[in-house]
Amino acid sequence: MRVSFYLRSMARESRGIGGRMVFFVACLAVGVAAVASLAGLSSGLDATIRAEARQLLAADVAVGAQRPIPAGLERFLAGLPRTRKTDVRTLATIVSAPAAGERGGASLLVQMKVVSGDYPFYGNLRLDPDRPLAELLDGTSAVVAGELLERLGIAGGGTIRIGGQPFRVSGTVVSEPDRIDFGFRLGPRVFLSAQGLERAGLASRGSSIFYRTLLKLPEGSGRREAEELAARIKEQLGGDAISYQVENFADAQPALRNALKRADRFLGLVALLSLLIGGVGIAQTTRSWLEARMDAIAVLRCLGMRPREVVALYLGQTLFLGLVGSLVGAAASTALLAAAPRLLAGIAREVRIDPFQPLALLRGIVLGVTVAALFSFPRILAARRVPPLRVLRRSVEPLPAGKLARAASAGLLGAGTFATAFVQSGSLKLAAGFTLALAALVAVLALAGWLVAQAVGRAPRRFTRVWVRHGLAALARPGADALGTIVALGLGTLVVLAMHLVEAELRRSLEADLPRDAPTAFFVDIQPDQWEGVRALLEREGATNLRSVPMVNARLASVDGKPVSEIAGASPEERDRRRWALTREQNLAYLAELPEDNRIVAGAWWSDPTLAEASVERDFAGILGAKLGSRLVFDVQGVEVGMTVTSLREIEWRSFRPNFFLVVEPGVLENAPQTRVAAAHLPPGREQEIQDAMSRAYPNVLVIKIREMLEKVAGVLEKVGRGVRFLGAFSVVAGAAILAGAVGAGAVRRGREVALLKTLGMTRVGVVLVFAVEYCLVGLVAGLIGAVGGGILAWAVVTHGMELTWETRLLPFALAVVGSMGVSFLSGTLASARALTRRPVEVLRVE
Amino acid sequence: MLTILDQVNLRVQAGEFVAILGPSGSGKSTLLALMAGLDRPSEGQVLLDGREIQALSEDELARLRRTKLGFVFQSFQLLANLTARENILLPLELAGHASGPKRADELLRAVGLSERGHHYPAQLSGGEQQRVALARAFAPSPSVLLADEPTGNLDSATGEVVLALLERLRREDASTLVLVTHDPALAARADRLVHLRDGRIEREESVGAGGHR
Repeated sequence: MRVSFYLRSMARESRGIGGRMVFFVACLAVGVAAVASLAGLSSGLDATIRAEARQLLAADVAVGAQRPIPAGLERFLAGLPRTRKTDVRTLATIVSAPAAGERGGASLLVQMKVVSGDYPFYGNLRLDPDRPLAELLDGTSAVVAGELLERLGIAGGGTIRIGGQPFRVSGTVVSEPDRIDFGFRLGPRVFLSAQGLERAGLASRGSSIFYRTLLKLPEGSGRREAEELAARIKEQLGGDAISYQVENFADAQPALRNALKRADRFLGLVALLSLLIGGVGIAQTTRSWLEARMDAIAVLRCLGMRPREVVALYLGQTLFLGLVGSLVGAAASTALLAAAPRLLAGIAREVRIDPFQPLALLRGIVLGVTVAALFSFPRILAARRVPPLRVLRRSVEPLPAGKLARAASAGLLGAGTFATAFVQSGSLKLAAGFTLALAALVAVLALAGWLVAQAVGRAPRRFTRVWVRHGLAALARPGADALGTIVALGLGTLVVLAMHLVEAELRRSLEADLPRDAPTAFFVDIQPDQWEGVRALLEREGATNLRSVPMVNARLASVDGKPVSEIAGASPEERDRRRWALTREQNLAYLAELPEDNRIVAGAWWSDPTLAEASVERDFAGILGAKLGSRLVFDVQGVEVGMTVTSLREIEWRSFRPNFFLVVEPGVLENAPQTRVAAAHLPPGREQEIQDAMSRAYPNVLVIKIREMLEKVAGVLEKVGRGVRFLGAFSVVAGAAILAGAVGAGAVRRGREVALLKTLGMTRVGVVLVFAVEYCLVGLVAGLIGAVGGGILAWAVVTHGMELTWETRLLPFALAVVGSMGVSFLSGTLASARALTRRPVEVLRVE
Repeated sequence: MLTILDQVNLRVQAGEFVAILGPSGSGKSTLLALMAGLDRPSEGQVLLDGREIQALSEDELARLRRTKLGFVFQSFQLLANLTARENILLPLELAGHASGPKRADELLRAVGLSERGHHYPAQLSGGEQQRVALARAFAPSPSVLLADEPTGNLDSATGEVVLALLERLRREDASTLVLVTHDPALAARADRLVHLRDGRIEREESVGAGGHR
């Protein structure tokens, strides 16, 4: 047959399927919109980061570490022709308002940036007044974020105190080019000059300062030159290279982009879930559509159409509708992306992305059409089996599919799910896990649906009321096909509940998990001679459960004789983790007693009098590649100190007490330069007051309020969670729509049932009750299984992923089940409304 | 096993008009289905132009229906989503006739529905629908036309019009017509009557040239 004939036939087949077409298209469009807008958001952000890489770095090349750059490199950089250089130091510190009357001024944790040289080389640092930073800053002035002044209650400007010294506020920051924080910020920004930092007495703070050198290549230099310079810098650093971040604008924020990619993988699978649930709706629509077309197919067969031509016709039709649905979804995703900057306002500031993302749209459309084909194909294949004899005898039904055909379509669906999951996640392992988990869940849901139908079919019916009997019978009758609905609704319930539980558990942990007397604040950078005073101040202010640990800053030099520069992981991710663990400024605490929230899991605590001993946290030891008996050599401010690992510990981090990956036996580090870290439980409601007092008496001591930090983390998580919940809620809506679609598809049969029941004397209320029983039962089964699945998923994430405690609360589960029942009942009954309101004679006469 | 037809031995000549009569359940429709290749006999043979049709594959049967067989049904069986003209055109398109549209218009004219070609079946009366069905059945000029109670759903006056049309088209194409009915008046127009009862041929009678008026 000719293509033109197929096209004509497809156009003719489209007549009079308006409602069904809308449903088909809607099922697909929402999933495609989810997939395409996520992909678009991620690639749009990626493109923006690439396009603005120079501004985000504020330079062509940057070198950074928790230590100044070595003198050799400094000389090398100074010798580069026509290359400009700026040093930037960032640190966290406490700033306070000047004393107001008897009471001292308020204090606040800030992120300070100290710039010597031109800054930034690229992008705009917008200040008010609109003058260069260098002009606004001298040894006695500071430029600060407007937020800081507001929070300190000195909105008009004036003077602030840093490190006990007064600084005049000479301007405010409007925007910074290289500040990317995705909603999480320790505190507002403060700019200081290098002399200012000296004057504040913070320049010697050592480890808590992050040093960064920005470089600008001569005009006309491009990516190649930037990459070359970065390579030469790494060469200069030699074995030290592992301890420094050498970035060039051509790499465009690899860490940030990797994080985005990881988020994209996870969310991509959630979006795929909504597309697959839409697929269930498509399977049902296709089925009811083809059921309605059976007579027509028989006539076509009688007129000489071959079985495979029938399949080709309807497959073509489905693909066409799939394309329409995908295009609608793609258009919706573009609209969503156009609105993204406003939607993301709380998560990332000033996001500029191009709403037209051709690759993301292509991905959405290809996945959409694939899902449409995958889910409708087995149904369409059934059209092959419509016997032409139906033209003479209406009662002739299609032959059932063979076992092989059914297994093949299940296999095809599995393979398709795996393929789409791979496209979304880019990882074979993730895709396989996703597919298997989904298959298991669908199997459980299907089994439960079947068991319920069986149980209902066999339940004694003598004593039940007539509407209960009919409702149950409706579910148990052959071909009721509640399965698709149960699967979709169950999955939706699972996603929404799991997301809610994770968030709620996280919140609860933050609020309730802290033991009553757990520390509520950390005090960092206490100088040894300040400790007695700090302790006295805290005790006077009513702090309890005070603990402090002396701590020495050191760098790891080698593990078992192997220099850290030679130890690297195999995979990039492992390398990143290892790099962090090996090159961080190590905090070595020395302690005589094992803290009560630590547990020895291997070896023994200070057991060998002949050795300098170290105890390492178990997971950290794993990353370092150290075991019992390993020899660790540290560089303690220029002096090499060696020690042997004699025990591995597990730490209960949730105690919020000061704890350390590395603890050293007393007697090894006492003479090294050191600071103290302390933790205390502050009287509730007095944290700010005590911070203010501390900043007056000991302005160099950094106060970190635990609750405030945790709330900041929770705030970011909540915003991310909102997005995931939105995607999950779509699954529930899709489940409801699928149920309504299935009910609507069976409207003719349903109408006859209602008419018969009414003719036999059942009232409308009675009929609604029949429906209520049937649909509520469907919702109950889906809700129960979805709730259990969601509970297990959330429990796994909370206890294993986040290592928090889990407390089972029944209310969310009950609400999930009731909600699922409500959604099922409402959508089912609404879809039956027409059958309910028609007079019996209208329905019965037609037949 | 249930035996629906037993010992049925029937030979239909090219160009002949055979009417099969019998009460409900006598096996009339099954016989027609077997002759059309819509059903397969558990035993025995059905030959068309000397070819055993139960041995044909689904595809070969489809080709056979496309070119050699035409159907008219009691319930018309028009495709509801196609206009009258498109219904007539469909078998021509399936057979790949180049002059399909012209032939469809001719047939529309022949059944007196030139002005109604763009109407959908739901917009046509029962008699008009059956006239469209006739035009569709004759469209590919089949050598054999199989009709199942073609006037069963029509009032007698309309039935008469449809029947006259059926005879005229058949004469023009010189096709063979096998018609299932339990209307003796309709059967009286045939060349030969075959009476079925309980799955067996009870008797046959030749009406002679009386059928061709």
